[in-house]
Parts: sequence; structure tokens; C-alpha cells
Amino acid sequence: MKLELKNLSVTLSDKKILKSINLMVEDGEFISLLGASGCGKSTMLKTIAGLINQSEGSVILDGNIADKIPAHKRRTIIVFQNFRLFPNMTVWENVSFPLKILGVEKKQAREKALELLKKVKLEGYENRSVDELSGGQMQRVALARALAAEPIVLLLDEPFSSLDMNLRKDMRELVSELQKEYKITTILVTHDQEEALTMSNRIAFMHSGQIEQYDTPENIFKHPVNTIVADYFSKGIYVNGEITNNRFVSELFTSNANKHNGKYKCLIRPLAVKVNKYYKGDFKVASKIYQGDNFLLKIHNSKDLKLESIISDSVDIVEGDRVNIELDMDRLIFIPEKQ
Amino acid sequence: MNKKIPFILIMPIVLLGVLFMYGVINGIVQGFGYIPAFNLRHITLDYYIEILNSDTFLDSLKISLQISVTSSIISVLLGTMLTAALVYTGHTEGKVIQVIKLAILIPHTIVALFSISMLSQNGLIARLFYQLGLINGQGDFPLLLYTKNNLGIILGYIWKEVPFVAYFSLALMSSINNTLGEASENLGASKLKTFFHITLPLSMPAIRKAFLIILTFSFGAYDLPFLLGATVPKALPVQSHIEYIHPDLRHRPYAMAINGLILIITWTIAGIYYLITKKKKIKGDIHERY
Amino acid sequence: MKDINSNKLLKLFLYLVLFAILTPMIILLLLAFASRWPWPSLLPDTYSLRAIKEVLAPHTKVVSTLFSSIILSLSVAILSAIVGTMTARALVLYEFKGKGFIDFLGLAPNIVPGAIFAMGIHVVFIKISLADTVLGVIIVHLMYTLPYSINIMRDLTKSIGDQMEMQAYVLGASPLKAFMYITLPLLTPGIMASVSMAYITSFSQYFITLLIGGGKVKTISLLMVPFITKGDRNIGSAYALVFAISTLLVFIIIDKIIKKITISK
Repeated sequence: MKLELKNLSVTLSDKKILKSINLMVEDGEFISLLGASGCGKSTMLKTIAGLINQSEGSVILDGNIADKIPAHKRRTIIVFQNFRLFPNMTVWENVSFPLKILGVEKKQAREKALELLKKVKLEGYENRSVDELSGGQMQRVALARALAAEPIVLLLDEPFSSLDMNLRKDMRELVSELQKEYKITTILVTHDQEEALTMSNRIAFMHSGQIEQYDTPENIFKHPVNTIVADYFSKGIYVNGEITNNRFVSELFTSNANKHNGKYKCLIRPLAVKVNKYYKGDFKVASKIYQGDNFLLKIHNSKDLKLESIISDSVDIVEGDRVNIELDMDRLIFIPEKQ
Repeated sequence: MNKKIPFILIMPIVLLGVLFMYGVINGIVQGFGYIPAFNLRHITLDYYIEILNSDTFLDSLKISLQISVTSSIISVLLGTMLTAALVYTGHTEGKVIQVIKLAILIPHTIVALFSISMLSQNGLIARLFYQLGLINGQGDFPLLLYTKNNLGIILGYIWKEVPFVAYFSLALMSSINNTLGEASENLGASKLKTFFHITLPLSMPAIRKAFLIILTFSFGAYDLPFLLGATVPKALPVQSHIEYIHPDLRHRPYAMAINGLILIITWTIAGIYYLITKKKKIKGDIHERY
Repeated sequence: MKDINSNKLLKLFLYLVLFAILTPMIILLLLAFASRWPWPSLLPDTYSLRAIKEVLAPHTKVVSTLFSSIILSLSVAILSAIVGTMTARALVLYEFKGKGFIDFLGLAPNIVPGAIFAMGIHVVFIKISLADTVLGVIIVHLMYTLPYSINIMRDLTKSIGDQMEMQAYVLGASPLKAFMYITLPLLTPGIMASVSMAYITSFSQYFITLLIGGGKVKTISLLMVPFITKGDRNIGSAYALVFAISTLLVFIIIDKIIKKITISK
């Protein structure tokens, strides 16, 4: 089911939450809505589902305008962050609730529920009551329940944020598996960039009610269109300069740059900075921080320019050493200055 | 010093509580005929037996039950509808709630005045009926006050209790609606189906409690029955009051025995309520998550 | 669409309820100022201040009774809030023997119908010479309002906890100062709710005041009710008006005082 949002605007309590959003999600695609709290992602989900009315624009499902379709008929199913399982029903009753509403016979509904519970690896839990379940189990029941409703679009509203770190990984894998199996068009709302990067076909990065960039994970990471997007994925140092004839010139360095002429900010992330120990080096190592897989070096020069670099634990550099830096041109990110 | 603080803090309630318990126990004891001040020192069940056998008592009991059960059932039904109306029209705060709260705050004595001005044969409703041609004169309008049907009293209690039930269960129903109700709709259930499958069942704990409160209150209250009731038969609390203020002090034990019976019936109702809800707690019906 | 229709019905029902609540109040207002309102008019023919004047006439002693009623109910309200706060604090923040019993005591007046409690207490009060006294009436009203005050303060005390107080104490404030400057301002909403609720409960009492006060303790309710039983709607309504307006004024003044106190902090 193709999903399109056309000029979608939502105003709540006199505040503009979504500002003329345009988005196209292909059939069977898994996209993430990524952004900080308050950027409007959950509001977008609820508007797609028909739980919130937009002030302008349309939600288009498979080419048809869905605005007049009431919430309970849209089959755009949400899996909520707080699970929202019905306490007055057992696990299988929760899962088969959508079927019960459609009038499916009890026996059939129960069978379908058991089948789905198996898919989410909760075989044997069908007769439990909701308050006996752990967080991860509740999430899986919520997922099974959503699938029972045979969604045309699956909407996941930060579903993993209330789970422990280890559980999150398992749940992510489960969701990816199921999404691929059922080929459901899926939108995941998250503020965790790792989640977005690992799970999605495309990422829609949101800020203040607008989509800043809508691209594949790799593109959004390597070629952010502005500093807001860039900073969300990894912090670094910005150096101002200008590109003319595919050459970037700044006070600190020059580099090849395959971009249009104009003023640019060059983002230097830690992985772009290579260091070599040299007693007459321009930079001094201010601190060396252990990060498990590697070390983070914080270095600065006499002009007080601060950079960061990542080195492996086999490299023999300590605090106080002097180093020379070499910039990995392929990893430099050029962001056009706003006019 | 720290150890003494809790005891200092609870001193007032303990003093008042002891006084309260002493009063209630004293009252109960008097029902058994033990009133040293009047030279009655013989503990006996005679007073209770006499009352239980008397027709006046049985008539009064019938009236009290009639009033409390009828008004409570109607109030809880209309009150729940009102809660649903408030939640679904989005009026969970603001001017509408202020009006509802206002009704809850108005004393029963003034409610009696409302009843008289609205429901008497010379009241507003009678006049409206006349203007609409439904009746031909004052005498045609049914007697609602000071009569056996006690409709004036029942309507008076309903007037106060519907807002009370609504206000009491509003917070719960509203939060259920916003979370689970929303999920239910999203999963395919219409607003109507959601209400009956999810919202209403999960709001029952508050609704049930409200019902218990209004039932026991209206059973043991004497304000409206006293002000609007028939000469005979009188509601139980009114009957006990009459015995209490009787100049012949030997009526005192009768008053206290009636009070004792009111207490027993009230506690029986409360006891049944707790047994029912305990069962539901075990079945997993009652929850506290939302 | 089914949903839109049921929403319209609910809206209609809501308006009917509001209408049913407000109409008697409006009628009361009209009655207080009505002079001639014969059958079958829906509105008074003529208005006058007769009922009001009669109520406010010096011989009724309305003004002095009103004044003493307000003082009495305010006393009940303030005491109720104080005792409620103290009891709630003990129940939430401390562990001690007999805690369950105190819990029960707080609930007891709710499950004992008013009639029994009033008549039972009356006998005791006669014995300890509290019958027919203002103090006796205050104590009885207090017993009636405490369960509500304790409930209100208990929930609030629980959600505030003693974290902040502990913090202040650790930083050098005496326990009393920590309570007064940190916790007390946070408890203000609950205290206000207790005060208003206890005030109106006490101010509304008729039978309990009559029984315990023996007719010697006069409140505005006591002055009003005979007119209700007699069926004099005009004067009864005028009294009800005095009752309502005085209550409203008291609430407004309390509100303003609290605002002044919290702003000056």
C-alpha cells in the first residue's frame, strides 16, 4: 500500500505542529521518522491513522484520499510506546480483538491469535493475563495484535523506548523479520539514530514540524543537507570556507570537493581525522578517552582549534603527545551555507 | 525526637476518633436497653425484636429501600451517561464541569426547596404542563411531594447524585478513553463498540464505588425524607429521629435500635460490595495501570 | 455516520443535564425577587424586594447569624485542613503501630450513616457538657469533614513525598523550617481544596447542627429551613440566595488571601 502525505499541516492548541509535510512511502517500504522530542513525529503518525485531524492537506492511501475515512476504518495500525494492552482480556483475547470486532468466529479468531503469538515467539502465553507479562512480552503481544488487524500501513510509535537495551536489539530484529515476511508498508518513529540507520529503507529526518531530509540511511549519514541533520548523527567540527571549481579553500586546509561553487561549512567528524605522532606536531593531545572498541582523542593546536579523532587501542599515543593530522578527504562533509 | 513526631501528628485524629467510636458504641449499646442515666440497666434484645416485628418498621424499611435503590440505580445509569457525554464531547474541564461541581456543592436543604418550587402541584413543571395543555388544572398534576410514592425525594436525590457519579468517574473514564480507547479505535472498533467493549468495562471500578457511596448515603440520610416525605410511612432515619426526640425518654432505646438496624443494613450492603469486588480482583478484572 | 449521530445525541444529553441543573437555580433567583407569581405563569408577574427585605430585617438577626455561621464554618474548615494534613503526613511518611487503625478511623464517618453518628455522639456530648455549645458543633462538623480532608491531603502528600524537605534539611534547615518553606507551599492546592470542601459541608449542615447545638447554636441553615418546611418559597429562596452569595464571597476572599500570600513569597 503506497502512502502519500500531501501538504499536510496540523495545528494543535494554536501551535503549528506539522508544517506542510510532503512524503511518499512506497508499497512494502520500511521508513523511519527520525528526530528529537517535540519535532512532530508522533503527531504525524496519529494524523495518518486518523486520530488527529489535519488543518490542511491530505493523507493518500494507495492513490485514494483517505481524509474522509474514519479512524477505525483506515487499517493504519499503531503499535504504541506504552503498549496499551487491554487489562480486561487475556493475551489471546487481546491479539484477537481486531478479529472479534470484524465478527470473526471465536474459534477461528483464537486460532489466528495462536498463530500470530507463535510468530512473535510467545507460544504458550495465550491464556496469561496482561499484568503477568514483562515489558518485552507486552510489546510482542501488541505487535501480534497489530498484525491481527491486517494493517495496510504499520505505524510504530517509539515502540522500543521503554525496553532495556538488550531487549531492544531482539525486538528490532523481530520487527524487521516480520515486516519483510508480511511486506507491510511500515513507518517507525524513533529518536534513536542507530535504530533508524539499521532498520530502514529510507529515513525522513524531522525538525520543528518539517522534513529536513528524506533519503537512504547511507546518504543521510554521509551527505546531510544541513547542519541540523548532520549534527544529529555525529558531532564534529565545522570549518567555514568556499568552493570554487571543485576545490574547497579554508583557513585551515584545502580539499577536493565535488560540489557547486559557493560558501560551505566543512564538517570534520572524528573518523575523518587521522593522527600521526610527531614531536614537532601542530596539535597536542589534551585527553584520551576509552570507549570500549576504540579511543577518542581530543586534540588542539596553538590557535585553539579543537578536533577529535578515533584511534584503535593498538596505537601508542598518550595525553601530552604532539601529533600531526591528516584529513581523510573522502570523509569530509560539505554543507552549503544558508543564504 | 523523631520517633515522637508521628504520634504528635496523629493525636488530633485519635482524640476525635475515640470520641466518635465512643459515641457510636454508646448508641449501639443503648439499642440493647443499657442506659444507666435512665435507670435502664438490663441488656436485652427486646427492643430490636419489637421493632423487627412492628409494621411501622417494615413500612419504613420498605420506603427507605425504595428511595435509595430507585434513586441510586437511576443516578448511576444517568451519571455514567453524563460521564460518557463529558468525555466524548471533550468537556472534561472548563465551564461545564464548574456547573456540575456546583450541583454537587449545593446542600440538600436547598435541593428540597428546588423540589418544592419545581415539582409541587403549584410548581414550575405543573405550570409548564398546563401551558402545554397536558393538564387542566393544578389538581391534575400528580402528587410528588409529601406522598407515599416519594418521587419528589427520589428526583431530589437524582438531581444531586447524577453530577456526583459523573464527577467521581470522570478522571478514570477520561484516561481510559485517551489511551486504551484510542488504541481500540485504531484497531478497528467504532467509537460505540469501543465504549461498550473497552471504556465502560474498565471504568466500572469507579462507577461501582460511586454507586456504593450514593446507595449507602441515601439509605441512611434523613434530610430529604424529613423535608419532603409523607406523614406515614416515614423513612427509617426519620423514624429513628422521631423516637429520639420523643419527650418520653423510654423511647430512646427504640431510636438507637433503629439506628443499629440501619447500620447493620448499611454495612451488609458495603460487605456485599467488597465481596463482589474482591472476586473481580482475583479474576483480573480490576487494574490500576491506567 | 453512526459516530457523528451518537456524538450529537451525547451533546444534546449534556445540554439537557446542564439545563436541568441550572433551571432550579434560576427559579430560585426569580422567587427571591418575585412579588406576584400566580398560577399558571412561568415567570413572575411583578418583582419586589419584599422577601429580601424581610430576610435582612433586623429582627431576624440574619446578619449576626450569618457572621457567626461563617466564623463557625471557617473554624471547621481550617481545623479540618490542619488535622487532615497532619494525619495524612503521618500515614504517608511514617511507619508506626496502629497505622491501619488510624486509616480506618479516617474512613469511619463515611460508612456510618449521619443519623446514627449524630444521635450517638449527642448522648456523649451531653455527658461531657459539650451539647448545645459551639465547640460541640464544631467538633461534630469536624468529624464529618475529616475523611474527605485526609483523603485529599493523603494523595497530595504521597505525590510530593519528603524528598525536597530532606534536601533542605541536609542543607542545614531545621525540620520545622524545611516543612514550612518547602513542603507547605506545595501542599497549598490540597489545603485549599480541603478548606473549601469542609467549609461548604459545615455551612450546609442542618440536622446535625440542630441536634448537637440544641437550637442554641444558630446558623444560617437553621434560620432557612423552617421556611422550606412551611413552604414559603419566596423567603426560603431569599435565604438560599443569602447562603449562596455569602459562600461565594467567602471563597473569593480566601482565594485572594492565598494569592497574596503565595505572591509575597
